[in-house]
Amino acid sequence: MRRITELAVIISLILGVSVLLVLAASILIPGVEVRQLAFFYLYTTINPWFQNYTVNSPEAVTAIVWDYRGLDTLFETSVFYLALIAGLALARGLFSETLQGSFNEKTSGLSTIVKTVTRVTAPMIIAVGASIGLHGHLTPGGGFQGGATIAVIPLVFIVVYSAFFLIARGVTSNKMLVLRSIGLLGIGFISIATFLIGLAIGRFAYVFQNMPKPGAIVGLPADINGALISGTLWFFNLFEMIAVAAGFTIAFIILLLAGRGGSGGR
Amino acid sequence: MYAETIVYLIMAVVSLLSVVAVYLAIVERDLIKAVIYSALQSGFYAVLYYLLMAPDIVLVYLPVAVGLIPGVLIVLISKTERWEKE
Repeated sequence: MRRITELAVIISLILGVSVLLVLAASILIPGVEVRQLAFFYLYTTINPWFQNYTVNSPEAVTAIVWDYRGLDTLFETSVFYLALIAGLALARGLFSETLQGSFNEKTSGLSTIVKTVTRVTAPMIIAVGASIGLHGHLTPGGGFQGGATIAVIPLVFIVVYSAFFLIARGVTSNKMLVLRSIGLLGIGFISIATFLIGLAIGRFAYVFQNMPKPGAIVGLPADINGALISGTLWFFNLFEMIAVAAGFTIAFIILLLAGRGGSGGR
Repeated sequence: MYAETIVYLIMAVVSLLSVVAVYLAIVERDLIKAVIYSALQSGFYAVLYYLLMAPDIVLVYLPVAVGLIPGVLIVLISKTERWEKE
């Protein structure tokens, strides 16, 4: 009874605030004019008649995240990487990834129905994640989104099968760390790729440059054989997807195995 | 103008439902159910983000807040106790 009363009080409060908000919205509609900075981004994100400033990506958010403000995203990725390293350092010695004792794949984990459904849906989730990540420069999405979607798969497999199912399949934290490092190295390499091209052909070029800019005519191609890749954006999304998916998998392996000490999975 | 008001109304209802989900998540003694209520609230927030025209945020919010965080929380609950004490 007390809970129902509390709930009724909260609902009436929120309803009042919502009605107020709706009234305010019908009176104070935000203006339609675009600010100068937003106008620049929207005008230049894909503009074939403005070749020296455009990013050639129809998705303005990805263009801002990986081109206009690329350095911010690079540091975000590094912070995530360092957090994982710290997590691994804290959990070292707390978990062992070697199979000890008897681990029977048939008897451990949830029922056969759940396992079969997981087997069927796993490739679909990976396909959706890859599509979100690799089309990040065309449609809403990007490397982090795709990687986070793919990272659901190891978690589901650990819960449905067992903690040692992935390890028996060779998905260990060391291998994932290698994959994570490959992703980060790829991001680092792509961020200086244009600069290296500039060095090689003796032209001026910026670090983190994507398309040709005024005074620095070096740039990565906007499309490969007609398929738009928006220069560096596609590569950034690819490597970020690998890095994020592997990073989350490491976190799950640590969380699920820490404290067990290799005493067998469930 | 008319369509905009409907969108605002949907947003108001969805945010109201998300507050209810938060309330239920807080008062629930069964921690597994609390996690599910929390995921429900995240789902409502995802709708809000979509209506606020931020599909990129929806795509990162859904797998993280509905998939990963409840999964991790359920794993952590399985390591402690399921029922919250007084």
